[in-house]
Amino acid sequence: MNTYTVTETAVINAPVERVWEVISRTDRYAEWVAGAIEVTEHHGVAALGKTYAERNRTVGPLRTNSVWTVKEIDPLRRRVDTGTGFAPLQQVTSIFELRPTVGRDGGAEATEMTYQVEYAIGLGPIGILINGFQEPGMRAGMRTSMANLDRLIRSEDSSLAR
Amino acid sequence: MNDHWSHKSDVVVIGAGLAGLSAARDLVAAGKSVAVLEARDRVGGRLLNHDLGDGQVTEIGGQFVGPTQDRILALAKDVGVETYRAEVPGENVYVHDGRSKRFSGHTPPDLLALPDMGIALARIGKAAARIDPAAPWKAPNALELDGMTYETWLRKAEITGGGVDLVNIFLNSAYGGEARDASALFSLWYVATFGDETHPGTMERGTGTTGGAQDSRFVGGSQLVAQRLAVELDGRIHLSAPVRRVTQDSTGVTVVSDAGEWHAEQVIVAIPPLLASRIVWDPLLPPQQDQLFQRLPFGTLMKCVAVYDKPFWRAEGLSGMGLLRGGSPIREMFDNTPQDGGPGVLMGFLGGKEWRKWAHRPARERRGAVLRSFAQVVGERAFETLDYVEQDWTAEQWTQGGPTSIAAPGVLTSYGEWMGRAFGRVHWAGAEFSPYWNGFMDGAVRSGQDAAAELLAQS
Repeated sequence: MNTYTVTETAVINAPVERVWEVISRTDRYAEWVAGAIEVTEHHGVAALGKTYAERNRTVGPLRTNSVWTVKEIDPLRRRVDTGTGFAPLQQVTSIFELRPTVGRDGGAEATEMTYQVEYAIGLGPIGILINGFQEPGMRAGMRTSMANLDRLIRSEDSSLAR
Repeated sequence: MNDHWSHKSDVVVIGAGLAGLSAARDLVAAGKSVAVLEARDRVGGRLLNHDLGDGQVTEIGGQFVGPTQDRILALAKDVGVETYRAEVPGENVYVHDGRSKRFSGHTPPDLLALPDMGIALARIGKAAARIDPAAPWKAPNALELDGMTYETWLRKAEITGGGVDLVNIFLNSAYGGEARDASALFSLWYVATFGDETHPGTMERGTGTTGGAQDSRFVGGSQLVAQRLAVELDGRIHLSAPVRRVTQDSTGVTVVSDAGEWHAEQVIVAIPPLLASRIVWDPLLPPQQDQLFQRLPFGTLMKCVAVYDKPFWRAEGLSGMGLLRGGSPIREMFDNTPQDGGPGVLMGFLGGKEWRKWAHRPARERRGAVLRSFAQVVGERAFETLDYVEQDWTAEQWTQGGPTSIAAPGVLTSYGEWMGRAFGRVHWAGAEFSPYWNGFMDGAVRSGQDAAAELLAQS
């Protein structure tokens, strides 16, 4: 079984508190996580040990149903969830890490977000081949997700009103 | 009972929307004394202007008119309200699965969906042509059509399912629902009503902008037509007067409202059918008519309006008109800027299943979702609003939904013939009772005028 780690980082133009507030909402993942078509079950604000379920896009027209369990919460800093339903990917772990930073205009509070997915694929050399196909898509999806999150937060920011 | 509480007139009209006001106008012209009782503290019913400041308005209720809507156009002209072309020059935007594509004209650039849409339009045209707008339950295959939903009927000839989805974009705002909410007979009849006595209804006229139902808007906003009628009816309209009870016998009708009791020879009821069924009737409504009214609920629709310092999208060659598929909260949106070009206004419909998904969400999250839809059409300057307004018609006590009634399978063939049938001294009006432009402003005016004519013919 080979294990893999995919990490992407982006700056979200909002304070850590606001980013944390949004990413903690298990009912909102379909609004910003690329590939999450809908959240089919949720428990609102993420709570340790609780689960939520999604319907996800995988490859092309293929869909899957996933179930996530909240494994670790370090408020305003780190969230770790494990997911099932992504075969042939196994032992899937999603990690969000947040860190305060300076926004692109140099003044406003912003958040550096690191989005990491760890997983394993069996099947020996075929697994390595599969990962060669799927990893770029996963990486692009993670970047898109964080861009979506930035857009979502800006769209809800009434201070943008002139 | 003191004199301030008890009143007399020849006719009581219940409801000061376009139907009731049109009826009252014709009755007054015929020499009748008329009292119009309106539950709200304003006239206009589903017509509602939103004040943008500096004397400008944008509509958060019904707003578009077009060719063959002869009654509303003539009435507006009579009361001095002009129209202007609604379509804004520039390209429209089609959004599918998050990808935006500009297009010109009326045909969305979707090669996979267009064959389905073409087949659907051809079938709709053929089937609607066989339906008598005045009696859809008498259509040759009425029972079969009324035994299934519109979605079931559309899917009989689909290839990709794209046609149903595109029809649903239209129904999202037209019904505040989807093809699965209505019977096929009702929906094809609805299309058959998109015309007048000399122009059979067509889907193209109902969905079209220039030359269609979205051709024009009113200078000063559509509610101005109702407000001008109210001025004409000087002193005859009683606001904040919801009607609770209607009693009739051989001597006349007594209408009990929160603002007093009226005795009249006859009554015209011009309120949504479901609300009419909730009045206490003595004697009771004919049970078939009561059942029909209970089965004509309005859809679920919210109008979402964002205001900007100017219509910035126009400088980028965009019309502000967007069609959005694939889970977007807003499925159809328009440039709703006042005629003189500023401030800029974008308006989108949040209806049907999208309304169900978003209506209960926190206002901030819903606003964000709506603005993200707008941004897919005009870019992220859509986030930089001067103002943002929502009008949820389901939250209006005296409408309880919008924009019009939708009949599920079985309703028209079981109860349809009771639709506008007079009940003793009681006559019916409202956009939902019209054989042409059913559910539209034109249908409201026509129904009011027809109810007045029916009443006068009996007097």
